[in-house]
Amino acid sequence: MRDQLERLRREGLAALAGAEDEAALRREEVRLLGRQGELTALLKQVGALPAAERPEAGRLANAVKAELAAALDERRRALAAARLERDLSGAGFDPTLPGPPPPAGTLHPITRVQRRLEDLFTAMGFVVADGPEVELEENNFDALNIPADHPAREAQDTIWVRSERGVCMRTHTSPVQVRALRRFGVPLRVVAPGRVFRQETQDASHDHTFHQMEGLVVDRGVGVGHMLHAMNTLLAGVFGRDLETRLRPGFFPFVEPGFELDARCPFCSDGCRVCKGSTWVELMPGGLVHPNVLRACGVDPEEYSGYAFGLGLSRLAMLCYGIDDIRWLLGGDLRFLEQFPA
Amino acid sequence: MKVSLSWIGEFVDLDGVAPERVAELLSLHTAEVEGLEWFGEAIADVVVGEVVACGPHPGADKLSLTRVEFGAGEAVPVVCGAPNVRRGLKVAFAPVGSRLPGGIKIKKARLRGETSCGMICSERELELSDEHQGILELDPAAPVGARLVDYLGLLDPVLELDNKSLTHRPDLWGHYGFARELAAILGRELRPLPLAPPWPEADGEGVPIELEDRAGCPLYLGLRIDLDAAPRPSPGWLRRRLLAVGQRPLDDVVDLTNYILLETGQPTHAFDLDRLQGPEIRVRPAAQGELLTTLDGVERQLVAEDLVIADAGRAVALAGVMGGENSEVGPETRRLLLESASFDPVRVRRTAQRHGLRSEASARFEKSLDPALAPEALRRFASLLARVRPEARVLGPPAVAGAAAAPAIRLELEPERAARLLGLPLGREEVAAPLRALGFAVADEGSGPLQVGVPSWRATKDVTLPIDLVEEVGRMAGYHRIRPEALLAPVEPPWTDPVRLLGRRLADRLAGAWQGAETQGYSFLDRRWAERLGLPEESFARLANPVQDRVDLVRRDPVPTLLEQAAGNVRERPRGLLFELAKGYEADRADADGLPVERRWLGAVLWQRPGVRPDGPESAFGAARSLTEDLLRTAVAPAGAEPGHGPSWAHPARALAWRGEPDRLLGWSASLDPRLAGELDLDGFDTAVVLLDLAALAELGAGRLPAFRPPARVPAIKVDVALALPEEVSYAEVEAALRRAGGKLLESLTLFDLFAGGSLPPGQRSLAFHAVLRAPDRTLGEKDERRFLERAAQAAQELGGALRA
Repeated sequence: MRDQLERLRREGLAALAGAEDEAALRREEVRLLGRQGELTALLKQVGALPAAERPEAGRLANAVKAELAAALDERRRALAAARLERDLSGAGFDPTLPGPPPPAGTLHPITRVQRRLEDLFTAMGFVVADGPEVELEENNFDALNIPADHPAREAQDTIWVRSERGVCMRTHTSPVQVRALRRFGVPLRVVAPGRVFRQETQDASHDHTFHQMEGLVVDRGVGVGHMLHAMNTLLAGVFGRDLETRLRPGFFPFVEPGFELDARCPFCSDGCRVCKGSTWVELMPGGLVHPNVLRACGVDPEEYSGYAFGLGLSRLAMLCYGIDDIRWLLGGDLRFLEQFPA
Repeated sequence: MKVSLSWIGEFVDLDGVAPERVAELLSLHTAEVEGLEWFGEAIADVVVGEVVACGPHPGADKLSLTRVEFGAGEAVPVVCGAPNVRRGLKVAFAPVGSRLPGGIKIKKARLRGETSCGMICSERELELSDEHQGILELDPAAPVGARLVDYLGLLDPVLELDNKSLTHRPDLWGHYGFARELAAILGRELRPLPLAPPWPEADGEGVPIELEDRAGCPLYLGLRIDLDAAPRPSPGWLRRRLLAVGQRPLDDVVDLTNYILLETGQPTHAFDLDRLQGPEIRVRPAAQGELLTTLDGVERQLVAEDLVIADAGRAVALAGVMGGENSEVGPETRRLLLESASFDPVRVRRTAQRHGLRSEASARFEKSLDPALAPEALRRFASLLARVRPEARVLGPPAVAGAAAAPAIRLELEPERAARLLGLPLGREEVAAPLRALGFAVADEGSGPLQVGVPSWRATKDVTLPIDLVEEVGRMAGYHRIRPEALLAPVEPPWTDPVRLLGRRLADRLAGAWQGAETQGYSFLDRRWAERLGLPEESFARLANPVQDRVDLVRRDPVPTLLEQAAGNVRERPRGLLFELAKGYEADRADADGLPVERRWLGAVLWQRPGVRPDGPESAFGAARSLTEDLLRTAVAPAGAEPGHGPSWAHPARALAWRGEPDRLLGWSASLDPRLAGELDLDGFDTAVVLLDLAALAELGAGRLPAFRPPARVPAIKVDVALALPEEVSYAEVEAALRRAGGKLLESLTLFDLFAGGSLPPGQRSLAFHAVLRAPDRTLGEKDERRFLERAAQAAQELGGALRA
């Protein structure tokens, strides 16, 4: 018995020390100390010994058990430490393996630009207004001081809708000026994003359907400086920094005086494809609301003045994201849409 | 439009102002300059040379062997093929290494065995004219070695103006207008246009002029001129002026009319007086169907709205647009009738458009020219004619018919208001001075408004209101001086559109949780869609002049374009979800303005390869259903679905109509009709469509919030139950029966397995559910589970099946 225990001790200690990993150690633990293990088997034989030998054998068996348990514990700690060390060393870990496919889900680039502007102007107290895409000639032209014989009304520029009265696909978002003034009255701050339509042959930079955003402010004492402030704020909001701007004369029948706003090219400092080498990019037409327009909307131009500006949302989206062909925008090609994560 | 700065320099001194600066000043104060180029730059390498020796080429009859001196060391050998080359001639010489127009580089060459170091140029090679019979002969006094462009004064900075920025300014369609602007901007003197001395006495002859359409032509002048000899090439200075601004020189008569047009903006037309029948002039509407061959050689069939110039027998010109061949000036011409008139701008534009014939003349007349230009142009013509062709004689004063003048406009301008609107600190004089510089008559009594008279060249349509003067003051003062100024306005939240905000939330949900791609589609549909959708064409708003033939319907909702876009994507993406927030128009109803009724929709299309079943959780139909439930939950719109008829794109037996409470249709989710799928090349895909009425949804969800119920504190028990039932029994019936079986204790019921075949007899299917049972006040036990299973078994029996073990 004594020899058996002694052998178990020696052999057991060697086996535990030699266990290469935690699984092997676990196997040894079961073999040596488990309920059906070798020590348990020996312990069961202790009962069969003569009474005189039992205490001695029992003590020895317990001592062996304690020694093996301690060795097991030590080896387990050593193996755990080694495992931690290996884990921390990064061995066997490939951080370059891919995860599961990320969720898709995208918002249209025009939506992205439009929302940024809607939020910016809402924060400044502007109403985001809406008007129909199928619009009365009266709102699209007459009320905007565009004379009855103006070339813009003719069929090579305007897409007309068959109707007994003059109805067209609106050629700009400006009729929302008229609708908003009539609906909300003065003072008024409003922006109106939406789609507009022109009789255009499609190519990389022209489409018959595109997006604009109109801005309009009417109040007492509104002047060009206020318009410039709104335009500068808008551009800073879109491009994330202040851009140097300049106003030039421009002509649009529904404003007087009329302007074109140029901004220093956001994409270069010394001329590029976008600014055609000039470092200036023409971005926004605008002006003071023509007295005839105010009058047509029931506002007294002697008491109130206002400014209006227009912005090509499609063009802005193309500039922001470097989209090279306007026909991507309404083409519905997922390979295009997927590039604009929500 | 091209503007030559040397031409402008005749009227205003541009000394000390770089052309780049002129371009910038015009852009900032007047109109957009798109570019600056130097006319003559292409031949800047060419120098004045002298032929110091000239003899026959030993190897070629038609070539000469010359030596040319050009101020750089010794004379060089040059082979020349021109018949007029001779010793002592001063020529335009392109030495080795120089460049000529068209990118030609001159190299040392051997021609028939003789070395040639350079080229003696013809006018055509220098792009000065089409002349190529011989080399250009320079004045014997020309300094050898000088640059040709310097000697001839050819270098000319030319600005390219954006025509669109000039449409409202009839005064800017000639060089003199720009000179006036620059004089005002630079504060320099504007020289008057040199006009002819007084007209000679009447000679007793004349051309009677009759205006039969005063609205179309209120004023017509005809000046008779005796040329004394045939038309001939214009002198170099005149030709170069025209070339610099892109106008090809022809002969002196045509060149002078072009010159006048480019200088004053007023078109004139020269008829061969001896080819006019009568001779007399009648300005009248064209006879319907009347034929006229215009100067471009095209025979045109006229309509009654066209205005023509006619002689005693026939039309001889399309008024304000182009002359006729039958009265064209040619080599036989000795006498002219020079027309200068005022035409109705809209009539001219329509005629030019109708005949696809936009000429330099029509482009100007359609801008509403100042009628005062008409007589002035004749006097300017006479003054130039005296210089170009001194032997020509003007025959008496011009014959005049009708009368026209720009309206005399007097405006009151409050200087303080002008300054306030512009946001510029301008005093009275700073308001008055720029107006005066531009030719406005300003009377200032020291207080009160300024009295401003508008000059005729600005009064035809451009400046009619005081606000128009504010623009003049502002652009002259300089818009760059305006400082941005924040608006002072009450702080109050703006009105927000609930439909727009809901659209945003639903789009976020679709792009987020549902991984959809937001798209936008065109508003216009091919006419075939009316038939595909089984709708009369009249129910669509229809275009009178569609961009593309037959694509003339305005969409009523986004479904057609979503389907077309899905079909365009399936090759690259066999599975996908596209959605769009879109407006639609229904022409079978009208709003208060009489416009087609506008609807705002959320549409979505889902497609995938067909699975085992066309319904259930794996199908597109099932996904569309869940997606709709989710969107309605996001909108906080209590609603339910019922199987039924969808719109005509929907599969007749696989559609759900979604209704809110109280009974209001919110939209549909449905499988795509297989016939439509076939037409769109979507067969082979399991496709479903969702269409929701955003306005109805926003209304239904308005003011509603998700209602909170405290979670139960008592544990639940989970019971799985499977039923084998005849296939005809719908899921809804089974669910309802199980819910009855569970009673109040049944908290939730989830289908987790559905199958047929296997151990099941034909005609049966198995539905397996997870059921969660819970009581509010006690923990449920085995007895409760048993009772539920018994009642479920009974329910299964009543439905013609049985509980599965």
